[in-house]
Amino acid sequence: MSYRVVHYINQFFANIGGEEMAHVPPELREGHVGPGLAFNQAWKGEAEIVQTIVCGDSYFAEHEKDAKAQVLEWVKEAKPDLFIAGPAFNAGRYGYACANVCQVVQDELGIPVLTGMYEENPGADLKEKVLIVATTNSAAGMRKAAPTMAKLAMKLMKGEALGASCEEGYMPNGIRRNFFEKERGSKRAVDMLLSKLAEKPFTTEYPMPSFDRVAPNKAVKDLSKATIALCTSGGIVPKGNPDHIESSSASHYGEYCIKGVEKLTSETYETAHGGYDPVYANENPNRVLPVDVLRELEKEGKIGKLHDYYYATVGNGTAVASAKKFAAEYAQKLLQANVNAVIMTST
Amino acid sequence: MILTNNPLVKTCMEGRYAVQFFEDLTLREVLVKARDMVYNGHTLYTHPLAGSVKPNETPYKSVVVSQKPNEFSPEQAQIIAGSIEVCDKFSPQSRTLTRKVLEDFQLIDYTLLSGALGYDAAAGLSNATNKK
Amino acid sequence: MKLELGFIQIRDIQFSKECKVESGTLYVNADEVKDFIFQDDDVKACVKAAHFDIAKPGESVRITPVKDVIEPRVKVEGPGGEFPGVIAKVDTVGSGKTHVLRGMAIVTAGKIVGFQEGIIDMSGPGADYTPFSKLLNLVLVCEPVEGVHQHEYEHAVRIAGLRAATFVGELGRSLTPDETQEFETYGIKEGIEKLPDLPRVAYVHMLQSQGLLHDTYVYGVDAKKIISTLINPTETMDGAIISGNCVSACDKNTTYHHQNNPVVADLFAQHGKTLNYVCNIITNENVYLADKQRSSDWASKLAGMLDLDGVIISEEGFGNPDTDLIMNCKKTEQKGVKTVLVTDEYAGQDGKSQSLADADPLADAVVTGGNANEVIILPPMDKVIGTLDYVDKIAGGHAGSLRPDGSIEAEIQVITGATNEIGFNCLSAR
Repeated sequence: MSYRVVHYINQFFANIGGEEMAHVPPELREGHVGPGLAFNQAWKGEAEIVQTIVCGDSYFAEHEKDAKAQVLEWVKEAKPDLFIAGPAFNAGRYGYACANVCQVVQDELGIPVLTGMYEENPGADLKEKVLIVATTNSAAGMRKAAPTMAKLAMKLMKGEALGASCEEGYMPNGIRRNFFEKERGSKRAVDMLLSKLAEKPFTTEYPMPSFDRVAPNKAVKDLSKATIALCTSGGIVPKGNPDHIESSSASHYGEYCIKGVEKLTSETYETAHGGYDPVYANENPNRVLPVDVLRELEKEGKIGKLHDYYYATVGNGTAVASAKKFAAEYAQKLLQANVNAVIMTST
Repeated sequence: MILTNNPLVKTCMEGRYAVQFFEDLTLREVLVKARDMVYNGHTLYTHPLAGSVKPNETPYKSVVVSQKPNEFSPEQAQIIAGSIEVCDKFSPQSRTLTRKVLEDFQLIDYTLLSGALGYDAAAGLSNATNKK
Repeated sequence: MKLELGFIQIRDIQFSKECKVESGTLYVNADEVKDFIFQDDDVKACVKAAHFDIAKPGESVRITPVKDVIEPRVKVEGPGGEFPGVIAKVDTVGSGKTHVLRGMAIVTAGKIVGFQEGIIDMSGPGADYTPFSKLLNLVLVCEPVEGVHQHEYEHAVRIAGLRAATFVGELGRSLTPDETQEFETYGIKEGIEKLPDLPRVAYVHMLQSQGLLHDTYVYGVDAKKIISTLINPTETMDGAIISGNCVSACDKNTTYHHQNNPVVADLFAQHGKTLNYVCNIITNENVYLADKQRSSDWASKLAGMLDLDGVIISEEGFGNPDTDLIMNCKKTEQKGVKTVLVTDEYAGQDGKSQSLADADPLADAVVTGGNANEVIILPPMDKVIGTLDYVDKIAGGHAGSLRPDGSIEAEIQVITGATNEIGFNCLSAR
């Protein structure tokens, strides 16, 4: 009884066509297609691809929800032991599709997943959520990628513990695992230093957590004359969430007018954020977006004025890239409105 | 000012230093107290993660801050906040520690604190014993 | 400064009436060694009893709790003696000739405090994690006099171990070594003249210096009290730096580690070929924040003054030393001196937590000794040297760590030297 696998590939690897056929919707095929053969060969009968799902990269990008729903439906019916996608090498939309379709299968159906792509492929952003094997940047790397993926896939199907990322070939996913190197640490350190001194490439054994340090601006000279704007990632929106900001993985932000609003109330505002217990924020939204306090400061003359608009999104699981995009946009609006400083509340 | 939940520190150092003894606070709660004070501008004098005995092994913690608030330091705020994060990554241990072991943990915390302050730990202990 | 090490390979240890090393076997009369150890007043006052035992690689033996591991050496030519400022007088060491009884160690065991730790398994999966499972260990198990204070007792056990190593080392004085190796670093001017085209490299050696069971001594001086300074690498080979530290077992540097510092050894291996090994910079890891600033400012200042091109920085311990490590790294890099850091990790039992307590983007070249929180099951051993009483309470252990069948479920934190931060082992993580 061999393990059963469902494989996801794109229109190119299914030999349907290139870019001109990237719009094809998902179709279900029996058995293996294209690179699936390489996996089957590597598994030598211990596992086999029972079904292949083919989907155009453009179709996935433009109809992500529908594509995912269809894949889920088919995979749910097939009940495989593993779901494998790609490898996508450096094809950006293909990599994005592979990583995302793996994530939804893993999260919704609890089936082990695996994909593979080049480190710089945008799909690799999900490497901490989904297991991704690192491949070269072109399909010429299939010779190496397929057996590496097959081996790792077999471990997943057997429920075996995974070794360290550099041993098994997957992208470091933030889970540290011990293993024994051939050389002792001091020798590795000396070699690393020599490479660093000679400006040759080297790989650190522990990548520091990624930083996004922003140097603080100069202090506001006179607060009593300044226009202060409120912004939040805590999801405070007008009651009813008219712009439908998502409770998680927000895809946009809202711009809301608070001219004449002395304080937020539970009748007029609410929180859209799905990452914290909403009771207290709904009871009194000022707790997350302190309009009431800012109005007091306005009256007391401590600040010049509270800006008429506030900008809100939901920070729960929102991609760093999205957050940057939103802020870049509304920062311009704030600048144009001569706002001097922003209080950004987060949760 | 020494913020501590370690009774040995209270016994040996009260009178010599300003000691705020929180008998019932956990290690993490002492760190949170220190953090709140640092956020209010108190200077942090010692690193909150003193010692290699892990936060989930010893119940005792002593941290030294200034008695009065000075200027807020973002670096120090980062250190104390980071220390609480470090605490949280260790899984809680379910152990009943004997009195002897608790005394040993108290001693380690006390000597690390003494070392930091340049206080003669042994002398402090002798004084404490003599007082009794 | 130039030192020649003469290695005498020890292949077996046996108790006997005589004390000698012959044909690779150490014959030792336990009582004679004990007499020598107890000649010290502090040992006499604090140590009620001590007995010796032998543990050999491959045996089903567990040594616990471990205080220190020390290699027997003896100065046969040149100024000073082993463990200057502690056993020998304070004369500067690191030159002349020293004999080393290689392949064995003195291990001090027995509790200092109730939660103390350190396990050395001579066989089984635990043996893979400690370098000491590969050595012939002459274990000295000590017991305290009732009522003696822990810090006095720690000092006494420390001295007892060093005295044992001194006595045994002496037995190698008149023998012809099986192998000799020479180590030489040059003065500033000489180095530049002799090796003009090689990068100038130093080893920034961070020493644990926080308090009881967390101390290191340099020529007998508590490292807590030193200002960052220079030391010749060969001085460490004569025991200039010794350990008073035993928490946590996995990343504390035993005296054996200091005597056999692998960064020193591997830098020497490249010295004159791909780099100019200038010196060691020693610095401490005090708890007082101002001390951290002073020490890291000073260490990086020295790196700049010496016109170094690069340094390897190793740390010792967890938590606040990470802050020193990052400070040393940042300030040194900002002086234009490139750094490589050697550390270990506490990433939680699931490997998902932030490995270090501090971080900085300038720390872009790091070597790791592994995640100390990883859990291991140590099978029961036929013989225990020391006591298992504290296994439940040691770092990395938990209630029920010691199971009824004698096996131990604990983090590799408990194994002496497991995630060593001076790069002694091959263990790593990704």
